[in-house]
Amino acid sequence: MFLKEIINLFKGLFTVFKHLFKRPVTLEYPEKRRCLNDVFRGKPEVQGCIGCGICKKVCPAGAIKFDKDESGKVYNFEFDFKKCIVCGNCSFYCPKGAIKMTKEYELATSDKENLTLKYRGGADD
Amino acid sequence: MTITTLKLNLGPQHPSTHGVLRLLLELDGEKILSCEPDIGYLHRGMEKMAEKLSYIQYLPTVDRIDYLAGFFYSELLCRIVEKALGIEIPEKVRVIRVLLLELNRISSHLLWIGAFLMDLGAVSPFFYAFRDREMILRYFEKLTGQRMMYNYFVFGGVRRDIDFLEEVENIISVVSEKLNDYDKIITENPIFLRRTLNKGILDKETALNYSITGVNLRASGVDFDYRFQDCLYKGFDIGTVVLEKGDAFTRYQARTLEIKESIKIIRQALDYLKKSAKLEQKLVNPVNLKLPEGDYYADIEAPRGLASCFVRSLGEKEPYRLKWRTGSYYSVNLLRKLLVGEFLNDAIAISGSLDIILPEVDK
Repeated sequence: MFLKEIINLFKGLFTVFKHLFKRPVTLEYPEKRRCLNDVFRGKPEVQGCIGCGICKKVCPAGAIKFDKDESGKVYNFEFDFKKCIVCGNCSFYCPKGAIKMTKEYELATSDKENLTLKYRGGADD
Repeated sequence: MTITTLKLNLGPQHPSTHGVLRLLLELDGEKILSCEPDIGYLHRGMEKMAEKLSYIQYLPTVDRIDYLAGFFYSELLCRIVEKALGIEIPEKVRVIRVLLLELNRISSHLLWIGAFLMDLGAVSPFFYAFRDREMILRYFEKLTGQRMMYNYFVFGGVRRDIDFLEEVENIISVVSEKLNDYDKIITENPIFLRRTLNKGILDKETALNYSITGVNLRASGVDFDYRFQDCLYKGFDIGTVVLEKGDAFTRYQARTLEIKESIKIIRQALDYLKKSAKLEQKLVNPVNLKLPEGDYYADIEAPRGLASCFVRSLGEKEPYRLKWRTGSYYSVNLLRKLLVGEFLNDAIAISGSLDIILPEVDK
């Protein structure tokens, strides 16, 4: 019984030993980076917004703000990435595909303003 | 002579309480006289939050109820909405959901194996389990955009068509191969056996009285698996693992065997998806979505037991009340009974073997 236990222990150790010669699965970040797929959800980008406001309605974190002026045509779109939980609802439900999630995920910054996206729309029409 | 007992706090910062569980133990020497679990350190108000958010706003946050098995909870919420609106999801969406749920179950069980062994003092299996789980997470990231907070299921379907099926094949072949390695390292290891065999025996009656579900119940000899009644799994050949003994080792065995069963389900789903045509689905427009007045209820077999969601709607954009039932909550209560009479050093092995995850308990 005792001998069998020792044999089993060494059997396990041998399996562990085999793993010593395998290639590491980790990468030496930040020198090496994994390539990310296109669907990766990182910091968002806005282009071609029509101001429908659907993104604001589907955002769970309240990260999106719309300010319309009196005419109701010119609006300020503000995306606060500090609040964003990167769920991707806004980009999925945007009818024009105006919000895109980029592959950028390193968000440390010394200026808060870098985490706010501003877009002024409707002025040209 | 007076006998004094020692009160000891196990947690909330103890590394093997998996999050922030505090167990107030009363000890006589090394023997546990009573155990009082204290929960709530990770409470985020998931249920109250639902009352302020519309259904589509709430959907991304439910992944966080159990961050190791997020798909199960988004499936539940989607199912509630689909049920309320009377939508039937297309066959392909159903199979995609089954595939992802089972992959998620494997990743959750793999993490449990690693963390459980880490609790018992074995470090290597932790890294092996995480390495294998990483493959699944990378696949999820490729498909959904994130590793753990998927937000991939939407009302009426899924966000995008499934892809990279050859990667899933690779994952299941590697995982089934690696399970043999685990057997060699863990299952036959005499130290592991001595720490888990006959420890924390959970008998049938206690398990049923404490509303235990999932693997813990099946390891105690009760044949209850909600997947058999679940219409999502219709047409799938499901095998279930029912073991008799109910100790910590049996629960370990049941989980490893369940990984094998999940692999079989994934193979069936893969066979279907490879032949299937392009995904066609009709998504619900979530803006201004209102559920008809009434009560709605849905269940699913999550990795840690039966998970359920109850929604009472008054016909508004937000639910009037939303309630989650999670498996771990009941497992935590079981510690009150299971730890009494055991030794302190077995407490970790027993609480670890129940697969408690605290975000799910506190919600």
